[in-house]
Amino acid sequence: MNWIDIGHIEDIPVRGARVVKTPAGCVAVFRTTPDQVYAVSDRCPHKGGPLSDGIVHDRKITCPLHNMVFDLETGLSQGIEEEQIATYPIRVEDGRLLLDGESVGKRSAA
Amino acid sequence: MQKLVVIGAGMASGRVLEHLKETAPDAFDITLFNAEPRGNYNRIMLSPVLSGEKTYAEIVTHDDDWYGQHGITCRFGEKVLSVDRDRKVVIGEKGEVPYDKLIFGTGSSPFIIPLPGHDKQGVVAYRDLEDTNAMVEASGKPGARAVVIGGGLLGLEAAAGLRLRGMEVTVLHIATHLMERQLDEAAGYLLKKDLEKRGIKVILQAQTQEITGGDQAEAVHLADGTVLPCNIVVMAVGIRPAVQLAKDCGLTVNRAIEVDAQMQTSDPDVYAVGECVEYMGNLFGLVAPLYDQAKVLAKTLLGDADAFRMKELSTKLKVTGCDLFSAGDFAEGEGREDIVFRDPGRGIYKRLVIQDDQLIGAVMYGDTADGNWFFGLIKDGTDVSEMRDNLIFGPAFQGRAQADPMAAVAALPPEAEICGCNGVCKGDIVAAIEAGAGDLGAIRATTKASASCGTCTGLVEQVLSVTLGDDFVLPTSQPVCGCTDLTHEDVRRLIKAQELKSQPAVWQELGWKTPNGCHVCRPAVNYYLLADWPLEYQDDLQSRFVNERNHANIQKDGTFSVMPRMWGGITTPDELRAIADAADKYKVPTVKVTGGQRIDLLGVKKQDLTAIWYDLNQAGMVSGHAYSKGLRTVKTCVGTDHCRFGTQDSTGLGIKLEKKLWGSWTPHKVKLAVSGCPRNCAEATCKDVGIICVDSGYQVGVGGAAGMDVKETERLVDVPTEEEAIEWTTAFIQLYRENGKYLDRPYKWVAKVGLPWVKEVLSDPAERTALNERFEISQSVYRKDPWAEHAEKRAEYYQPLADLTQEAAE
Amino acid sequence: MDTAIDTPARTFIEVAEVWVPDGDKLVLGDGNYGTLDAFAEASRRESFAWGEGLPGKAWAEGRPVVLKAFDGSYFKRTEAAKEAGLTAAVAVPVFSGKVLKAVLVVFCADDDHRTGAIEVWKYSSGVMMLEDGYYGAARHFEWVSQHTHFPHGQGLPGGVWASQTPILMRDLGSGYRFIRADSAGKAGLTTGIGMPIPVPDGASYVLALLSARGTPIARRFELWDARSARVGKGEPSAILTDGICAREGALWVGETEEPRRVAAWQGLIGRVLGTGLPVVESGTPGLTAGYETLIALPIHLDGEIAHIVAWYC
Repeated sequence: MNWIDIGHIEDIPVRGARVVKTPAGCVAVFRTTPDQVYAVSDRCPHKGGPLSDGIVHDRKITCPLHNMVFDLETGLSQGIEEEQIATYPIRVEDGRLLLDGESVGKRSAA
Repeated sequence: MQKLVVIGAGMASGRVLEHLKETAPDAFDITLFNAEPRGNYNRIMLSPVLSGEKTYAEIVTHDDDWYGQHGITCRFGEKVLSVDRDRKVVIGEKGEVPYDKLIFGTGSSPFIIPLPGHDKQGVVAYRDLEDTNAMVEASGKPGARAVVIGGGLLGLEAAAGLRLRGMEVTVLHIATHLMERQLDEAAGYLLKKDLEKRGIKVILQAQTQEITGGDQAEAVHLADGTVLPCNIVVMAVGIRPAVQLAKDCGLTVNRAIEVDAQMQTSDPDVYAVGECVEYMGNLFGLVAPLYDQAKVLAKTLLGDADAFRMKELSTKLKVTGCDLFSAGDFAEGEGREDIVFRDPGRGIYKRLVIQDDQLIGAVMYGDTADGNWFFGLIKDGTDVSEMRDNLIFGPAFQGRAQADPMAAVAALPPEAEICGCNGVCKGDIVAAIEAGAGDLGAIRATTKASASCGTCTGLVEQVLSVTLGDDFVLPTSQPVCGCTDLTHEDVRRLIKAQELKSQPAVWQELGWKTPNGCHVCRPAVNYYLLADWPLEYQDDLQSRFVNERNHANIQKDGTFSVMPRMWGGITTPDELRAIADAADKYKVPTVKVTGGQRIDLLGVKKQDLTAIWYDLNQAGMVSGHAYSKGLRTVKTCVGTDHCRFGTQDSTGLGIKLEKKLWGSWTPHKVKLAVSGCPRNCAEATCKDVGIICVDSGYQVGVGGAAGMDVKETERLVDVPTEEEAIEWTTAFIQLYRENGKYLDRPYKWVAKVGLPWVKEVLSDPAERTALNERFEISQSVYRKDPWAEHAEKRAEYYQPLADLTQEAAE
Repeated sequence: MDTAIDTPARTFIEVAEVWVPDGDKLVLGDGNYGTLDAFAEASRRESFAWGEGLPGKAWAEGRPVVLKAFDGSYFKRTEAAKEAGLTAAVAVPVFSGKVLKAVLVVFCADDDHRTGAIEVWKYSSGVMMLEDGYYGAARHFEWVSQHTHFPHGQGLPGGVWASQTPILMRDLGSGYRFIRADSAGKAGLTTGIGMPIPVPDGASYVLALLSARGTPIARRFELWDARSARVGKGEPSAILTDGICAREGALWVGETEEPRRVAAWQGLIGRVLGTGLPVVESGTPGLTAGYETLIALPIHLDGEIAHIVAWYC
């Protein structure tokens, strides 16, 4: 693991999201509650909608384009046709957001 | 006999002395220092002393007799100046005392926010008997006011006590709900409601700026300009371990005095216990772990092996009649599952958090009977997979109890207004049912409830069902979503009847089955709240769909379209130049003239939105709200200014209407048009509101459509003057705002409630005036350019949080 | 043991009795008449229809009733009461929803020499106002109380109303500096207990008993919480949440200890839990040591016994 500081948790509104540009593409960082965050691919596999612009409810995200709902933990979609989005390790330490660099295709700094 | 010196006569050190005296009464020659001029009392029971429900005498743990009987030398009211560890003496104000073993029980001091004015008289902390007495003293003056800063345990206990003493009390809390460290937002909502019922005012997200007055504190000022006059200010924002003495004598101190599991400090002859202790990075404030520490320390001193272990903690609030319980970790998180139970009628909320088949957290309000049982499951890490389904009903559970879908209606008080049109309360309907009215028709005939617009039909049926039980078969209706069994109409009506003014209030009082709604109900509830309570409720951006949140229309490729407002379809060369410049600067691939008489810039990247808005703002243009469930455009023809057929100034009226209505949120989008003559060049007869100018005045038509359905407007009224045309239009839109179902266009809403009803309401001049006034109140909040606001205050949210691609390319 | 407190003090309440519905009448259940045998006998012969006499009036009007003069009133036992020296009475109906469970009636005597207060407060237009009260010799305090009202959450009546739970207050005279407290202190009133009295029409009543040192209403007070939301959903039981006793001191326990708990039918409080009716007992072996009499009053809320208020002399 190669934890990269990408910002402060307060930079994201509760039940909102922000985007991080990475070599693996845009990653959406969601803040579902005051102290819980998730990082998943920002791209909806259905028609490429930006998930970071969707509505967060419970631990799920609804795509802004066609209302596909994804579980932020597993990346799995709800409904009959199962789709999955990539999820990335992220953690919060003293309010700082740490994203696993390796998982988003960033080589270790060491 | 070994000499033991104890600094601080608090609850933890007191418990150490009790253990020592029970097990080995003669092991130590004990000297006890205390800066307060008294011995050990049950500090956590100060709140009932403040409220008058206990006396100080009742909370004394050790009185003079006790210390005397146990041969403890008391040096009360004497400060310890320093500790000389080389010579092993404690130096008090009245002289030295040698020790073989020393205990620090110095506790903690309240944290005082260094606000301007914090040092005035009348600003007190809430920590000891002196503070309590100062508060009791302040409450003596009739009509005295208190401001309590801090909505945690201590602050709320102080507020309740002062209120019972007869003060006017306001609680200021910086977070979005009370006791946010112990409660989630639903429980925090119920607590706030409970306190407000006691006449305590609670201000959340309060930014305290300064305390003003002469020598004496006289008022607290908030950042938003609110001034709260007061006779006393209670600061209850937290505590800091009291560690100066320990630091000065060279013990290892981090945030507090560091100890090992035997409560030993960095000096093997010196121990520490209680709130002044740091163990493995943790500080302690609740009483249970302090007593555990005391037990371990007593054993250590007597040479018995024991070790302190961290345990899960539970919280209760000592305010008579507020029953809450929280334990463990109840934040949402990865792999965690919630079980939610709400009973709106009895003000009950329970939530359990399960992870890996174990209960890890519980928060409960109103029903805390099973708190200790849940707490036991949490502490023991019991596997709950077998009992998961019925877990929330507790150990005495018999047969599966279903959450009652009618609980919200059953819970309504008799005076709650069910039918807004005819002012019929629940009590009237129940009385009619008890007098024999057994179905909807009979209720309508006898009470007029649901006999006008019919929106409350569902609620009337539920009252029938609640009152008659199985004798009434409830017709099935479409609920808002899976989070509730109520329909949109029910939710709207109940928000008004019960005066629900926040989303947590709706979730709790209407028995939502999920912790915080879903993408279907949240935007609807958000709209209903802001439409009904424009001044009290704050619009929640996170409950809006993408277009409304970003104030631009998302396109199929994830880019956005930007459309500035052109009032009544009128523009200028300068505006056109600014639009052209912006299109160049931000490489806008498509520029299109729309059907709404304005210009659309398509294909703008999200991160460019705030910049392009800023540029357009500079040229005097504002958002066209082409994305909102709100007023879109007012389409016009050129009217009498240029047209040889024009009968009135249709362009002028269009501009006036657009300037009045813009920025308002509505259940669905609203489009208007004004045509200058019956030739109808502005296509006014297929709009939500369409006005046709004629020689004798203005024909106002409503409920047109030209989308999936095509429908001609129906005539609402003919009026002779422009003012009246504006007044009627505004009143119609406000009526729609107040009554329409979310995502119903006006034509659908009019079809449901019936045009005759709309006409009947609006033909009453007093009603029209009232609707116009309510619209203006709402517009005082919402008639503003979101672009300017976002460009200024929220610009960062449109940018990536971080860019990891550039570094990688190195 | 402090012998002074064991000297039987003259108490504020002279007689207590419980009337229970039997068909369309109220008949005598428990009663403690002390040495007033003739009045006891007269009461045993009596029964009250709906609206009849003091108990029937409390039943019919669905509210606590204070009666300060028997002569010329609806009171039925005037002669017997006069002979017994009784001068005033308070009837407290116990309702569970719309159903009357019982009426507790207490009698006082010797108005000019005994101090205390039995007050009925009613919520109207946003505040608790004194509806009626009996104060014995505490005339000034009576006058002050008539001219005082309590907003939500303030004072004993406002606090009980807002929390819908009984509240026991100490040192009425010393801590509360506002005007009623001042007068309470002068009248020698020390301990106050307030409780919600639910009635069928949903109006909010609070009954307050204020006890003075010389002629106490009781020397031991207990508040029991019996709500299933607090004590669990199994067999009915109650926990002792607060109390004070002239002999034992404070009756509450700290946060880390378990409060005393009784189950239905266990002891006298258990009998209240089991029957849902008030209990008036005297000289029974089951009574807490050192006390002659017990009055225990259940408060029914949401279809269950929510609280029990008990006082001992």
